[in-house]
Amino acid sequence: MDRQIKTLQDKNSYLDLQKEKRITLLEVLDRALDKGVVISGDIVISVADVDLIYLGLKVLLSSVETMERLRGSPFSGAAEEPT
Amino acid sequence: MVIYTYGVIDSKDTIDETIFGLEGAGVYNVSYRDIGVAVSELGEKMQEITDTNVLKHEEVIETLMTKFTVLPIRFSTIFNTKEELLLIVEFYYQDFKDNLDRLRNKVEFGIKVMWPAKIIKQRIAEVYNKRKFTVSIMADSPGKTFVKEKFEKHIIEKEFEEEAVRCIAVVDDYFNKIASERKIKKLQTENLLLNAAYLVGKDKQDDFKKAFEQLKSTPSDLKFLFSGPWPCYNFITLTKKPSSADYFNAEHMLNRLLAQQGLPERVQHDHEPRYLTGMNGGF
Amino acid sequence: MNRIIETDSQEAFVQEMEKIQDTLPSRIDANPKNVEKGLAKLVLTLVELIRKLLEKQAMRRIEGGSLSDEEVERIGETLLKLENKMQELKEIFALKDEELNLKLGPLGDLM
Repeated sequence: MDRQIKTLQDKNSYLDLQKEKRITLLEVLDRALDKGVVISGDIVISVADVDLIYLGLKVLLSSVETMERLRGSPFSGAAEEPT
Repeated sequence: MVIYTYGVIDSKDTIDETIFGLEGAGVYNVSYRDIGVAVSELGEKMQEITDTNVLKHEEVIETLMTKFTVLPIRFSTIFNTKEELLLIVEFYYQDFKDNLDRLRNKVEFGIKVMWPAKIIKQRIAEVYNKRKFTVSIMADSPGKTFVKEKFEKHIIEKEFEEEAVRCIAVVDDYFNKIASERKIKKLQTENLLLNAAYLVGKDKQDDFKKAFEQLKSTPSDLKFLFSGPWPCYNFITLTKKPSSADYFNAEHMLNRLLAQQGLPERVQHDHEPRYLTGMNGGF
Repeated sequence: MNRIIETDSQEAFVQEMEKIQDTLPSRIDANPKNVEKGLAKLVLTLVELIRKLLEKQAMRRIEGGSLSDEEVERIGETLLKLENKMQELKEIFALKDEELNLKLGPLGDLM
């Protein structure tokens, strides 16, 4: 599955970053993009991969969406289509 | 308006210090029982990963670490509402507590090691060529030539990986007595011999650094990268796995949550679980 | 937090780490909307997986010495043909080796 996550700033300005900044950035990315507490918020599901192990969690959140609809919240309405 | 999360903290108190997060919004604590999640509000859902946002995310976590034990949350974990966030915290409460206890006063260090893969493979090939080839393959046809070449590559690759394991063990030896846990990734690329994360007590940071200095000063073909201290990204273990059974619990949990918030209970419906009807991209 | 990053070869590490990061500009697939290509990619990735597994298995058997000369010849010819065919298909669909892989999230890459 391809990541839906978009690119960083365009290649030229990335290459302009000094080496120290690039390595700091790479080190941070190595951690923050994939690790830590990995749980699905509602919006993350619609813009990033759908991890199969979180399918159950999606179900959980679907019922939350129903709750929103019943309460007439601004978030009620058609479900977001994954990009 | 959506809620952007940075980390789970071991406190239900308001965050004293003024911390600014993404889009310059203030970071505050959404508490649940004796823990909380540090969040800030975003105008709309985030579309892009930019270096500014990622670095800001990291910066917020590191500031929080000066005051609390923090379980860093993956970048771009966003919730529509506070209630949804609380549902998740309730679901993972025990996991969060366990991790907070385990990671209190600990930090993560990263050690990356590179080696010259081509040269190593060349050396292995030289040794291999000197040996008598035990399999007698007369390269008198395209098929046999192909096999001979493949076989040589295969043996070299195998030896290469075994050498990697040996080398990694030597490097790891410098650190494994100082660290309480470690995560090791071997040969992510052929040149990146090792990408390791070590969990180190705050009081052992200097020892760890010293061990690295020792490693660095030992002559070898290796190149090193040392980074840290970091939030403990690599050492979060969540044992609870959501399953479809949680759907049926969700109604119950939601009603309880709504009651807590002083809102009317959701009406019960008898219907098929949503996930069967393809909502939100489900099957 | 006084975080430090210390290395004796920044350039080298940056180069390697960029290879494993898939969010950096140099690794972005320029044309993800080509459905045919997407399907070919998936199919060929799986074929490639099987081919590599066959090759590995063959090598193990040769190592173990359980094959006759004739069998080695036949396996060699078959594997050679497979490899050449894959090469043809890759060229037809303009796919590079690196593209024939699947990201399995927490499990890493397929191959």
